[in-house]
Amino acid sequence: MERGAEKARYSPQRHRVLGVILCVLCVSLVALPGLPAVAAGRVASLNLCTDQMLVLLAPEKIAALTPLSRDPALSFVASRAEHLPYGAQTTLTLLQQERLPILRIALAQDFAGIRRMTRLLAATLGVPERGEALIAAMDHELETLPHPSHAVRALVLEPRGLTAGPGTLMDAVLRAAGMANASDGRRVSLEALVSQPPDLLIVPSPPAYPSLATVVLRHPALANLPRRSIPPALTICAGPFSAAAAAMLTR
Amino acid sequence: MIRWLALLLTVLAAVSLCIGDATLAPPDGLIFWQLRVPRTLLGALVGGGLGLSGAVLQGALRNPLADPGLLGITGTAGLGAVIAFYWGVAATFPPVLMAGGLVGAGVGAGFLLVFAGRSPSGPSLILAGVAVSAIAAALLALALTLAPNPFALTEITFWLMGGLADRPLWQVMLTAPAILLGGAILLSLGPGLDALSLGEETARSLGVPVTRTLRLAALGTALAAGAGAAVAGSIGFIGLVVPHLLRPWFGERPGALLPAAPLAGAALLLTADMLVRLAPMVLPLSAAPPVGVLTALLGAPFLVVIARRMAP
Repeated sequence: MERGAEKARYSPQRHRVLGVILCVLCVSLVALPGLPAVAAGRVASLNLCTDQMLVLLAPEKIAALTPLSRDPALSFVASRAEHLPYGAQTTLTLLQQERLPILRIALAQDFAGIRRMTRLLAATLGVPERGEALIAAMDHELETLPHPSHAVRALVLEPRGLTAGPGTLMDAVLRAAGMANASDGRRVSLEALVSQPPDLLIVPSPPAYPSLATVVLRHPALANLPRRSIPPALTICAGPFSAAAAAMLTR
Repeated sequence: MIRWLALLLTVLAAVSLCIGDATLAPPDGLIFWQLRVPRTLLGALVGGGLGLSGAVLQGALRNPLADPGLLGITGTAGLGAVIAFYWGVAATFPPVLMAGGLVGAGVGAGFLLVFAGRSPSGPSLILAGVAVSAIAAALLALALTLAPNPFALTEITFWLMGGLADRPLWQVMLTAPAILLGGAILLSLGPGLDALSLGEETARSLGVPVTRTLRLAALGTALAAGAGAAVAGSIGFIGLVVPHLLRPWFGERPGALLPAAPLAGAALLLTADMLVRLAPMVLPLSAAPPVGVLTALLGAPFLVVIARRMAP
Protein backbone atom coordinates (compact mmCIF):
# COMPACT_ATOMS: atom_id res chain seq x y z
CA MET A 1 0.00 0.00 0.00
CA GLU A 2 2.62 2.46 1.19
CA ARG A 3 4.92 1.49 -1.65
CA GLY A 4 2.18 1.80 -4.24
CA ALA A 5 1.26 5.25 -3.04
CA GLU A 6 4.89 6.28 -3.14
CA LYS A 7 5.24 4.99 -6.64
CA ALA A 8 2.14 6.81 -7.80
CA ARG A 9 3.43 10.00 -6.29
CA TYR A 10 6.95 9.62 -7.66
CA SER A 11 6.19 8.52 -11.19
CA PRO A 12 3.43 10.56 -12.70
CA GLN A 13 4.36 9.24 -16.13
CA ARG A 14 5.14 5.60 -15.65
CA HIS A 15 6.20 5.00 -19.22
CA ARG A 16 8.83 7.62 -18.88
CA VAL A 17 11.54 5.67 -17.23
CA LEU A 18 14.25 8.23 -16.96
CA GLY A 19 13.51 11.09 -14.67
CA VAL A 20 16.96 12.48 -14.27
CA ILE A 21 20.14 11.47 -16.00
CA LEU A 22 23.25 11.87 -13.96
CA CYS A 23 26.19 12.68 -16.03
CA VAL A 24 29.73 13.31 -15.01
CA LEU A 25 32.10 15.67 -16.66
CA CYS A 26 35.55 14.33 -16.23
CA VAL A 27 37.09 17.77 -16.41
CA SER A 28 36.85 19.61 -13.16
CA LEU A 29 34.21 22.20 -13.81
CA VAL A 30 32.81 24.56 -11.30
CA ALA A 31 29.91 22.62 -9.85
CA LEU A 32 26.88 23.72 -11.80
CA PRO A 33 23.84 24.83 -9.88
CA GLY A 34 21.71 21.76 -9.24
CA LEU A 35 18.41 20.99 -10.83
CA PRO A 36 15.36 21.79 -8.80
CA ALA A 37 14.94 18.91 -6.36
CA VAL A 38 13.34 16.04 -8.22
CA ALA A 39 11.74 14.34 -5.31
CA ALA A 40 9.65 12.69 -7.96
CA GLY A 41 10.80 10.54 -10.81
CA ARG A 42 13.31 7.79 -11.30
CA VAL A 43 16.99 8.28 -11.89
CA ALA A 44 19.46 6.70 -14.27
CA SER A 45 23.23 6.91 -13.96
CA LEU A 46 25.63 6.74 -16.90
CA ASN A 47 28.86 6.52 -14.95
CA LEU A 48 30.38 4.14 -12.42
CA CYS A 49 31.05 6.92 -9.93
CA THR A 50 27.53 8.33 -9.93
CA ASP A 51 26.20 4.74 -9.88
CA GLN A 52 27.72 4.29 -6.47
CA MET A 53 26.39 7.60 -5.14
CA LEU A 54 22.87 6.66 -6.28
CA VAL A 55 23.04 3.26 -4.58
CA LEU A 56 24.18 4.88 -1.37
CA LEU A 57 21.62 7.67 -1.41
CA ALA A 58 18.40 6.49 -3.02
CA PRO A 59 18.42 2.91 -4.29
CA GLU A 60 14.63 2.85 -4.63
CA LYS A 61 14.71 5.63 -7.22
CA ILE A 62 17.18 3.93 -9.55
CA ALA A 63 15.96 3.40 -13.10
CA ALA A 64 19.31 2.24 -14.42
CA LEU A 65 22.98 1.94 -13.50
CA THR A 66 25.94 1.04 -15.67
CA PRO A 67 26.91 -2.66 -15.74
CA LEU A 68 30.22 -1.69 -14.12
CA SER A 69 28.39 -0.93 -10.86
CA ARG A 70 28.00 -4.68 -10.30
CA ASP A 71 31.68 -5.47 -10.70
CA PRO A 72 33.14 -5.99 -7.23
CA ALA A 73 36.60 -5.16 -8.53
CA LEU A 74 35.53 -1.66 -9.53
CA SER A 75 32.48 -0.80 -7.49
CA PHE A 76 32.35 -0.29 -3.75
CA VAL A 77 28.61 -1.05 -3.74
CA ALA A 78 28.69 -4.04 -6.09
CA SER A 79 26.83 -6.33 -3.70
CA ARG A 80 24.03 -3.81 -3.25
CA ALA A 81 23.89 -2.97 -6.97
CA GLU A 82 23.45 -6.60 -7.89
CA HIS A 83 19.65 -6.60 -7.80
CA LEU A 84 19.23 -3.08 -9.18
CA PRO A 85 18.44 -2.44 -12.83
CA TYR A 86 21.38 -1.63 -15.08
CA GLY A 87 22.10 -0.92 -18.69
CA ALA A 88 21.86 2.82 -19.26
CA GLN A 89 23.77 2.93 -22.52
CA THR A 90 21.86 5.57 -24.40
CA THR A 91 23.94 8.47 -25.53
CA LEU A 92 23.67 11.76 -23.83
CA THR A 93 22.78 13.54 -27.05
CA LEU A 94 19.75 11.38 -27.56
CA LEU A 95 18.61 12.07 -24.02
CA GLN A 96 19.12 15.77 -24.45
CA GLN A 97 16.94 15.68 -27.54
CA GLU A 98 14.30 14.05 -25.39
CA ARG A 99 14.58 17.12 -23.12
CA LEU A 100 15.30 15.06 -20.06
CA PRO A 101 16.70 17.00 -17.14
CA ILE A 102 20.43 16.37 -16.94
CA LEU A 103 22.59 17.02 -13.91
CA ARG A 104 26.30 17.38 -14.57
CA ILE A 105 28.62 16.66 -11.69
CA ALA A 106 32.28 17.55 -11.48
CA LEU A 107 34.30 14.58 -10.28
CA ALA A 108 35.52 15.19 -6.75
CA GLN A 109 39.30 15.12 -6.26
CA ASP A 110 39.41 15.74 -2.50
CA PHE A 111 37.27 15.34 0.58
CA ALA A 112 35.80 18.87 0.33
CA GLY A 113 34.73 17.96 -3.19
CA ILE A 114 33.19 14.72 -1.95
CA ARG A 115 31.15 16.65 0.61
CA ARG A 116 29.97 19.11 -2.09
CA MET A 117 29.06 16.34 -4.51
CA THR A 118 27.21 14.35 -1.86
CA ARG A 119 25.19 17.41 -0.75
CA LEU A 120 24.35 18.41 -4.33
CA LEU A 121 23.17 14.93 -5.23
CA ALA A 122 21.32 14.39 -1.96
CA ALA A 123 19.47 17.69 -2.42
CA THR A 124 18.64 16.89 -6.04
CA LEU A 125 17.29 13.51 -5.04
CA GLY A 126 15.25 15.03 -2.24
CA VAL A 127 17.11 13.13 0.49
CA PRO A 128 19.37 15.79 2.05
CA GLU A 129 19.38 14.05 5.43
CA ARG A 130 20.89 10.89 3.92
CA GLY A 131 23.62 12.99 2.36
CA GLU A 132 24.43 14.59 5.70
CA ALA A 133 24.50 11.15 7.34
CA LEU A 134 27.00 9.84 4.76
CA ILE A 135 29.17 12.93 5.17
CA ALA A 136 29.04 12.67 8.97
CA ALA A 137 30.10 9.02 8.84
CA MET A 138 32.94 9.87 6.45
CA ASP A 139 34.13 12.80 8.58
CA HIS A 140 34.00 10.65 11.70
CA GLU A 141 36.16 8.02 10.02
CA LEU A 142 38.63 10.69 8.86
CA GLU A 143 38.85 12.28 12.32
CA THR A 144 39.55 9.00 14.08
CA LEU A 145 42.37 7.96 11.73
CA PRO A 146 45.61 7.27 13.60
CA HIS A 147 48.46 9.38 12.26
CA PRO A 148 51.90 7.86 11.63
CA SER A 149 54.50 8.91 14.18
CA HIS A 150 56.99 10.05 11.53
CA ALA A 151 56.50 11.57 8.08
CA VAL A 152 56.07 8.78 5.53
CA ARG A 153 56.78 9.63 1.88
CA ALA A 154 54.37 7.39 -0.01
CA LEU A 155 54.12 6.88 -3.77
CA VAL A 156 50.93 5.67 -5.43
CA LEU A 157 52.11 3.56 -8.38
CA GLU A 158 49.53 2.69 -10.99
CA PRO A 159 49.82 0.49 -14.07
CA ARG A 160 52.02 1.82 -16.91
CA GLY A 161 54.23 3.69 -14.44
CA LEU A 162 51.63 6.35 -13.75
CA THR A 163 51.64 7.97 -10.32
CA ALA A 164 49.04 9.95 -8.40
CA GLY A 165 50.39 13.49 -8.23
CA PRO A 166 49.17 16.56 -6.36
CA GLY A 167 45.50 17.39 -6.89
CA THR A 168 44.36 13.81 -7.38
CA LEU A 169 41.98 11.88 -5.17
CA MET A 170 44.79 9.60 -3.99
CA ASP A 171 46.83 12.67 -3.00
CA ALA A 172 43.93 13.71 -0.75
CA VAL A 173 43.69 10.17 0.62
CA LEU A 174 47.43 10.14 1.39
CA ARG A 175 47.19 13.45 3.23
CA ALA A 176 44.16 12.23 5.18
CA ALA A 177 46.26 9.23 6.22
CA GLY A 178 48.98 11.61 7.42
CA MET A 179 51.44 10.74 4.66
CA ALA A 180 53.42 12.90 2.26
CA ASN A 181 53.00 12.31 -1.46
CA ALA A 182 56.31 11.41 -3.10
CA SER A 183 54.91 11.86 -6.62
CA ASP A 184 55.00 14.95 -8.80
CA GLY A 185 52.40 13.38 -11.08
CA ARG A 186 54.85 12.25 -13.75
CA ARG A 187 55.37 8.72 -14.99
CA VAL A 188 58.24 6.86 -13.36
CA SER A 189 60.34 4.05 -14.77
CA LEU A 190 61.31 1.09 -12.63
CA GLU A 191 64.92 2.28 -12.62
CA ALA A 192 63.97 5.74 -11.41
CA LEU A 193 61.79 4.20 -8.73
CA VAL A 194 64.53 1.88 -7.49
CA SER A 195 67.20 4.60 -7.52
CA GLN A 196 65.01 7.05 -5.57
CA PRO A 197 62.72 4.82 -3.53
CA PRO A 198 59.80 6.23 -1.51
CA ASP A 199 59.23 5.07 2.11
CA LEU A 200 56.08 3.28 1.07
CA LEU A 201 54.79 2.04 -2.26
CA ILE A 202 51.03 1.94 -2.71
CA VAL A 203 49.81 -0.29 -5.54
CA PRO A 204 46.38 -1.50 -6.63
CA SER A 205 45.67 -5.03 -5.42
CA PRO A 206 46.35 -7.53 -8.21
CA PRO A 207 43.40 -8.06 -10.57
CA ALA A 208 41.91 -11.49 -11.10
CA TYR A 209 43.38 -11.60 -14.61
CA PRO A 210 46.87 -10.32 -15.37
CA SER A 211 48.15 -7.79 -17.87
CA LEU A 212 51.72 -6.71 -18.54
CA ALA A 213 50.93 -3.34 -16.95
CA THR A 214 49.75 -4.87 -13.67
CA VAL A 215 52.40 -7.60 -13.58
CA VAL A 216 55.17 -4.98 -13.71
CA LEU A 217 53.91 -3.59 -10.38
CA ARG A 218 55.19 -6.83 -8.86
CA HIS A 219 58.59 -6.75 -10.56
CA PRO A 220 61.30 -8.37 -8.39
CA ALA A 221 63.27 -5.08 -8.46
CA LEU A 222 60.52 -3.56 -6.27
CA ALA A 223 60.37 -6.50 -3.89
CA ASN A 224 62.45 -4.77 -1.17
CA LEU A 225 60.24 -1.68 -0.98
CA PRO A 226 57.61 -1.64 1.76
CA ARG A 227 54.29 -1.77 -0.03
CA ARG A 228 50.60 -1.59 0.67
CA SER A 229 47.97 -2.96 -1.72
CA ILE A 230 44.69 -1.14 -1.97
CA PRO A 231 41.65 -2.46 -3.89
CA PRO A 232 40.85 -0.33 -6.97
CA ALA A 233 37.17 -0.41 -5.95
CA LEU A 234 38.13 2.00 -3.15
CA THR A 235 40.16 4.39 -5.29
CA ILE A 236 38.62 4.60 -8.78
CA CYS A 237 35.78 6.89 -7.69
CA ALA A 238 35.63 9.61 -5.09
CA GLY A 239 32.83 9.14 -2.57
CA PRO A 240 32.12 8.91 1.14
CA PHE A 241 33.88 5.53 0.97
CA SER A 242 37.16 7.25 0.05
CA ALA A 243 37.71 7.60 3.81
CA ALA A 244 37.94 3.80 3.92
CA ALA A 245 40.92 4.00 1.52
CA ALA A 246 42.70 6.34 3.95
CA ALA A 247 41.80 4.07 6.86
CA MET A 248 43.25 1.11 5.01
CA LEU A 249 46.57 2.95 4.58
CA THR A 250 46.91 3.74 8.27
CA ARG A 251 46.25 0.20 9.44
CA MET B 1 86.11 -12.37 -38.29
CA ILE B 2 83.98 -14.38 -35.86
CA ARG B 3 86.34 -13.26 -33.10
CA TRP B 4 85.75 -9.61 -33.99
CA LEU B 5 82.00 -10.20 -33.89
CA ALA B 6 82.27 -11.85 -30.48
CA LEU B 7 84.37 -8.95 -29.22
CA LEU B 8 81.85 -6.43 -30.60
CA LEU B 9 79.02 -8.29 -28.87
CA THR B 10 80.90 -8.28 -25.56
CA VAL B 11 81.52 -4.53 -25.80
CA LEU B 12 77.88 -3.85 -26.72
CA ALA B 13 76.65 -5.99 -23.81
CA ALA B 14 78.92 -4.11 -21.42
CA VAL B 15 77.66 -0.74 -22.70
CA SER B 16 74.07 -2.00 -22.48
CA LEU B 17 74.60 -2.75 -18.78
CA CYS B 18 75.64 0.88 -18.28
CA ILE B 19 72.72 2.53 -20.09
CA GLY B 20 69.48 3.22 -18.28
CA ASP B 21 67.28 6.10 -17.33
CA ALA B 22 68.55 6.24 -13.75
CA THR B 23 72.27 6.60 -14.47
CA LEU B 24 74.68 6.40 -17.37
CA ALA B 25 77.11 4.32 -15.34
CA PRO B 26 77.25 0.86 -13.83
CA PRO B 27 74.43 1.07 -11.28
CA ASP B 28 74.04 -0.42 -7.81
CA GLY B 29 73.23 -4.06 -7.24
CA LEU B 30 69.45 -4.03 -7.44
CA ILE B 31 69.12 -2.04 -10.67
CA PHE B 32 72.05 -3.94 -12.16
CA TRP B 33 70.85 -7.45 -11.37
CA GLN B 34 67.09 -7.05 -11.59
CA LEU B 35 66.77 -4.60 -14.51
CA ARG B 36 69.95 -4.18 -16.60
CA VAL B 37 71.17 -7.80 -16.59
CA PRO B 38 67.78 -9.31 -17.58
CA ARG B 39 67.35 -6.70 -20.33
CA THR B 40 70.82 -7.25 -21.78
CA LEU B 41 70.59 -11.05 -21.53
CA LEU B 42 67.15 -11.05 -23.13
CA GLY B 43 68.30 -8.74 -25.94
CA ALA B 44 71.27 -10.99 -26.70
CA LEU B 45 69.21 -14.20 -26.54
CA VAL B 46 66.25 -12.92 -28.59
CA GLY B 47 68.47 -11.18 -31.14
CA GLY B 48 70.70 -14.25 -31.44
CA GLY B 49 67.70 -16.54 -31.93
CA LEU B 50 66.23 -14.25 -34.59
CA GLY B 51 69.52 -13.78 -36.45
CA LEU B 52 70.23 -17.50 -36.57
CA SER B 53 66.63 -18.35 -37.54
CA GLY B 54 66.82 -15.85 -40.39
CA ALA B 55 70.08 -17.31 -41.69
CA VAL B 56 68.73 -20.87 -41.55
CA LEU B 57 65.38 -19.97 -43.14
CA GLN B 58 67.03 -18.06 -45.99
CA GLY B 59 69.27 -21.06 -46.62
CA ALA B 60 66.66 -23.79 -46.21
CA LEU B 61 64.01 -22.04 -48.30
CA ARG B 62 66.60 -20.58 -50.73
CA ASN B 63 64.84 -17.26 -50.37
CA PRO B 64 66.64 -14.04 -49.40
CA LEU B 65 63.39 -12.58 -48.01
CA ALA B 66 62.83 -15.36 -45.46
CA ASP B 67 62.60 -14.10 -41.87
CA PRO B 68 60.79 -15.54 -38.83
CA GLY B 69 58.77 -12.31 -38.56
CA LEU B 70 57.79 -11.99 -42.24
CA LEU B 71 56.91 -15.68 -42.36
CA GLY B 72 54.54 -15.31 -39.39
CA ILE B 73 56.40 -17.53 -36.89
CA THR B 74 56.95 -14.81 -34.28
CA GLY B 75 53.36 -13.65 -34.88
CA THR B 76 51.83 -17.03 -34.08
CA ALA B 77 54.24 -17.39 -31.13
CA GLY B 78 53.00 -14.07 -29.72
CA LEU B 79 49.40 -15.20 -30.21
CA GLY B 80 50.04 -18.40 -28.24
CA ALA B 81 51.74 -16.48 -25.44
CA VAL B 82 48.90 -13.92 -25.29
CA ILE B 83 46.29 -16.64 -24.90
CA ALA B 84 48.32 -18.29 -22.13
CA PHE B 85 49.06 -15.00 -20.35
CA TYR B 86 45.86 -12.95 -20.27
CA TRP B 87 43.55 -15.71 -19.05
CA GLY B 88 45.61 -16.17 -15.95
CA VAL B 89 47.03 -19.63 -16.66
CA ALA B 90 50.60 -18.35 -16.90
CA ALA B 91 50.15 -16.34 -13.67
CA THR B 92 49.62 -19.51 -11.66
CA PHE B 93 52.22 -21.55 -13.54
CA PRO B 94 54.72 -19.38 -15.48
CA PRO B 95 56.13 -22.07 -17.84
CA VAL B 96 52.70 -22.09 -19.51
CA LEU B 97 53.61 -18.71 -21.04
CA MET B 98 56.57 -20.29 -22.78
CA ALA B 99 54.55 -23.37 -23.72
CA GLY B 100 51.86 -21.17 -25.29
CA GLY B 101 54.46 -19.26 -27.30
CA LEU B 102 56.18 -22.44 -28.47
CA VAL B 103 52.92 -24.12 -29.47
CA GLY B 104 51.98 -21.00 -31.45
CA ALA B 105 55.40 -20.89 -33.11
CA GLY B 106 55.15 -24.62 -33.88
CA VAL B 107 51.82 -24.12 -35.61
CA GLY B 108 53.24 -21.24 -37.69
CA ALA B 109 56.42 -23.12 -38.61
CA GLY B 110 54.48 -26.32 -39.34
CA PHE B 111 52.19 -24.51 -41.75
CA LEU B 112 55.19 -22.98 -43.45
CA LEU B 113 56.83 -26.38 -43.85
CA VAL B 114 53.74 -27.91 -45.45
CA PHE B 115 53.27 -24.92 -47.74
CA ALA B 116 56.95 -24.82 -48.75
CA GLY B 117 56.76 -28.54 -49.63
CA ARG B 118 53.83 -27.96 -52.00
CA SER B 119 54.81 -24.65 -53.53
CA PRO B 120 58.54 -24.03 -53.40
CA SER B 121 58.47 -20.80 -55.43
CA GLY B 122 60.03 -17.95 -53.47
CA PRO B 123 57.49 -15.12 -53.73
CA SER B 124 54.46 -17.37 -53.05
CA LEU B 125 56.05 -18.63 -49.83
CA ILE B 126 56.62 -15.08 -48.62
CA LEU B 127 53.02 -14.21 -49.51
CA ALA B 128 51.80 -17.22 -47.52
CA GLY B 129 53.90 -15.96 -44.62
CA VAL B 130 52.34 -12.52 -44.94
CA ALA B 131 48.92 -14.16 -44.76
CA VAL B 132 49.90 -16.12 -41.64
CA SER B 133 51.23 -12.91 -40.06
CA ALA B 134 47.99 -11.08 -40.86
CA ILE B 135 45.85 -13.85 -39.39
CA ALA B 136 48.05 -14.03 -36.29
CA ALA B 137 47.87 -10.25 -35.81
CA ALA B 138 44.08 -10.26 -36.25
CA LEU B 139 43.62 -13.13 -33.78
CA LEU B 140 46.01 -11.41 -31.38
CA ALA B 141 43.90 -8.25 -31.49
CA LEU B 142 40.78 -10.36 -30.99
CA ALA B 143 42.31 -12.21 -28.04
CA LEU B 144 43.36 -8.93 -26.42
CA THR B 145 39.90 -7.44 -27.00
CA LEU B 146 38.25 -10.42 -25.33
CA ALA B 147 40.82 -10.63 -22.53
CA PRO B 148 39.29 -10.06 -19.09
CA ASN B 149 41.86 -7.44 -18.02
CA PRO B 150 40.95 -3.87 -19.10
CA PHE B 151 44.61 -3.01 -19.86
CA ALA B 152 45.04 -5.92 -22.27
CA LEU B 153 44.11 -4.13 -25.50
CA THR B 154 46.49 -1.23 -24.84
CA GLU B 155 49.30 -3.78 -24.73
CA ILE B 156 48.84 -4.75 -28.38
CA THR B 157 51.83 -2.56 -29.33
CA PHE B 158 54.07 -4.68 -27.10
CA TRP B 159 53.00 -7.94 -28.76
CA LEU B 160 53.06 -6.58 -32.33
CA MET B 161 56.21 -4.46 -32.04
CA GLY B 162 58.06 -6.18 -29.22
CA GLY B 163 60.04 -4.79 -26.32
CA LEU B 164 62.76 -5.73 -23.86
CA ALA B 165 61.92 -3.36 -20.99
CA ASP B 166 61.22 -4.46 -17.41
CA ARG B 167 61.15 -8.21 -18.05
CA PRO B 168 61.96 -10.01 -14.81
CA LEU B 169 64.97 -12.31 -14.65
CA TRP B 170 62.84 -15.44 -14.23
CA GLN B 171 61.25 -14.81 -17.65
CA VAL B 172 64.71 -14.63 -19.20
CA MET B 173 65.62 -17.89 -17.46
CA LEU B 174 62.44 -19.43 -18.88
CA THR B 175 63.33 -18.33 -22.42
CA ALA B 176 67.00 -19.19 -22.39
CA PRO B 177 66.79 -23.03 -22.53
CA ALA B 178 64.34 -22.97 -25.45
CA ILE B 179 66.40 -20.47 -27.45
CA LEU B 180 69.66 -22.31 -26.73
CA LEU B 181 68.14 -25.68 -27.66
CA GLY B 182 66.68 -24.23 -30.87
CA GLY B 183 70.02 -22.59 -31.60
CA ALA B 184 71.88 -25.88 -31.15
CA ILE B 185 69.50 -27.60 -33.57
CA LEU B 186 69.90 -24.83 -36.14
CA LEU B 187 73.69 -24.68 -35.86
CA SER B 188 73.91 -28.40 -36.64
CA LEU B 189 72.19 -27.88 -40.00
CA GLY B 190 75.13 -26.19 -41.77
CA PRO B 191 76.26 -29.04 -44.09
CA GLY B 192 72.65 -29.89 -44.97
CA LEU B 193 71.91 -26.26 -45.88
CA ASP B 194 75.07 -26.04 -47.99
CA ALA B 195 73.92 -29.08 -49.98
CA LEU B 196 70.38 -27.71 -50.22
CA SER B 197 71.68 -24.51 -51.81
CA LEU B 198 72.48 -26.63 -54.89
CA GLY B 199 68.82 -27.67 -55.15
CA GLU B 200 66.82 -30.44 -53.46
CA GLU B 201 67.61 -33.04 -56.14
CA THR B 202 71.35 -32.49 -55.93
CA ALA B 203 71.19 -32.47 -52.11
CA ARG B 204 69.40 -35.81 -52.16
CA SER B 205 71.96 -37.25 -54.54
CA LEU B 206 74.67 -36.11 -52.11
CA GLY B 207 72.97 -38.18 -49.40
CA VAL B 208 71.49 -35.26 -47.45
CA PRO B 209 68.18 -36.12 -45.72
CA VAL B 210 66.30 -33.15 -47.19
CA THR B 211 62.95 -33.63 -45.47
CA ARG B 212 64.60 -34.15 -42.11
CA THR B 213 66.76 -31.06 -42.58
CA LEU B 214 63.72 -28.92 -43.41
CA ARG B 215 61.78 -30.30 -40.43
CA LEU B 216 64.66 -29.62 -38.07
CA ALA B 217 64.93 -26.09 -39.52
CA ALA B 218 61.24 -25.51 -38.75
CA LEU B 219 61.55 -26.98 -35.25
CA GLY B 220 64.71 -25.03 -34.45
CA THR B 221 63.17 -21.78 -35.72
CA ALA B 222 60.02 -22.35 -33.68
CA LEU B 223 62.19 -22.76 -30.57
CA ALA B 224 64.79 -20.07 -31.22
CA ALA B 225 62.47 -17.35 -32.58
CA GLY B 226 59.22 -18.45 -30.89
CA ALA B 227 60.56 -18.57 -27.33
CA GLY B 228 61.85 -15.03 -27.71
CA ALA B 229 58.52 -13.77 -29.05
CA ALA B 230 56.68 -15.30 -26.07
CA VAL B 231 58.60 -13.00 -23.72
CA ALA B 232 59.61 -10.02 -25.86
CA GLY B 233 56.86 -9.84 -28.50
CA SER B 234 57.41 -9.88 -32.26
CA ILE B 235 60.62 -7.98 -32.90
CA GLY B 236 60.84 -7.80 -36.67
CA PHE B 237 63.52 -7.66 -39.35
CA ILE B 238 66.53 -8.81 -37.30
CA GLY B 239 66.34 -12.24 -38.97
CA LEU B 240 65.96 -10.64 -42.40
CA VAL B 241 68.83 -8.19 -42.14
CA VAL B 242 71.49 -10.28 -40.37
CA PRO B 243 72.30 -12.76 -43.21
CA HIS B 244 72.50 -9.92 -45.74
CA LEU B 245 74.89 -7.98 -43.53
CA LEU B 246 77.09 -11.06 -43.08
CA ARG B 247 77.29 -12.29 -46.70
CA PRO B 248 79.89 -9.72 -47.85
CA TRP B 249 82.26 -11.05 -45.16
CA PHE B 250 81.35 -14.72 -44.91
CA GLY B 251 80.30 -15.54 -48.47
CA GLU B 252 77.10 -16.91 -49.95
CA ARG B 253 77.38 -20.41 -48.46
CA PRO B 254 74.55 -20.74 -45.86
CA GLY B 255 76.62 -22.99 -43.60
CA ALA B 256 79.35 -20.35 -43.33
CA LEU B 257 76.83 -17.77 -42.04
CA LEU B 258 75.45 -19.92 -39.23
CA PRO B 259 78.13 -19.46 -36.53
CA ALA B 260 78.21 -15.69 -37.10
CA ALA B 261 74.45 -15.12 -37.40
CA PRO B 262 73.55 -15.42 -33.66
CA LEU B 263 76.41 -13.08 -32.72
CA ALA B 264 75.37 -10.52 -35.33
CA GLY B 265 71.68 -10.82 -34.39
CA ALA B 266 72.45 -10.30 -30.71
CA ALA B 267 74.71 -7.31 -31.49
CA LEU B 268 72.07 -5.76 -33.75
CA LEU B 269 69.21 -6.08 -31.25
CA LEU B 270 71.34 -4.83 -28.35
CA THR B 271 72.33 -1.79 -30.44
CA ALA B 272 68.70 -1.09 -31.38
CA ASP B 273 67.62 -1.45 -27.74
CA MET B 274 70.32 0.95 -26.56
CA LEU B 275 69.31 3.54 -29.17
CA VAL B 276 65.70 3.18 -28.01
CA ARG B 277 66.71 3.68 -24.37
CA LEU B 278 68.77 6.75 -25.25
CA ALA B 279 65.97 8.25 -27.37
CA PRO B 280 64.08 9.91 -24.46
CA MET B 281 67.32 11.62 -23.36
CA VAL B 282 67.85 13.17 -26.79
CA LEU B 283 64.34 13.57 -28.17
CA PRO B 284 61.27 15.05 -26.47
CA LEU B 285 59.71 11.67 -25.65
CA SER B 286 57.97 10.85 -22.37
CA ALA B 287 58.98 7.18 -22.54
CA ALA B 288 61.24 4.90 -24.54
CA PRO B 289 59.51 3.54 -27.68
CA PRO B 290 59.29 -0.26 -28.15
CA VAL B 291 62.48 -1.62 -29.69
CA GLY B 292 60.49 -3.25 -32.51
CA VAL B 293 59.57 0.23 -33.77
CA LEU B 294 63.22 0.96 -34.45
CA THR B 295 64.04 -2.45 -35.98
CA ALA B 296 61.04 -2.07 -38.31
CA LEU B 297 61.93 1.50 -39.26
CA LEU B 298 65.47 0.44 -40.14
CA GLY B 299 64.65 -3.03 -41.46
CA ALA B 300 61.70 -2.33 -43.73
CA PRO B 301 63.68 -0.13 -46.18
CA PHE B 302 66.22 -2.95 -46.26
CA LEU B 303 63.42 -5.30 -47.34
CA VAL B 304 62.57 -2.92 -50.20
CA VAL B 305 66.20 -2.88 -51.35
CA ILE B 306 66.43 -6.70 -51.32
CA ALA B 307 63.09 -7.02 -53.12
CA ARG B 308 64.28 -4.61 -55.84
CA ARG B 309 67.50 -6.56 -56.26
CA MET B 310 65.43 -9.77 -56.64
CA ALA B 311 63.16 -8.29 -59.32
CA PRO B 312 63.97 -9.65 -62.82
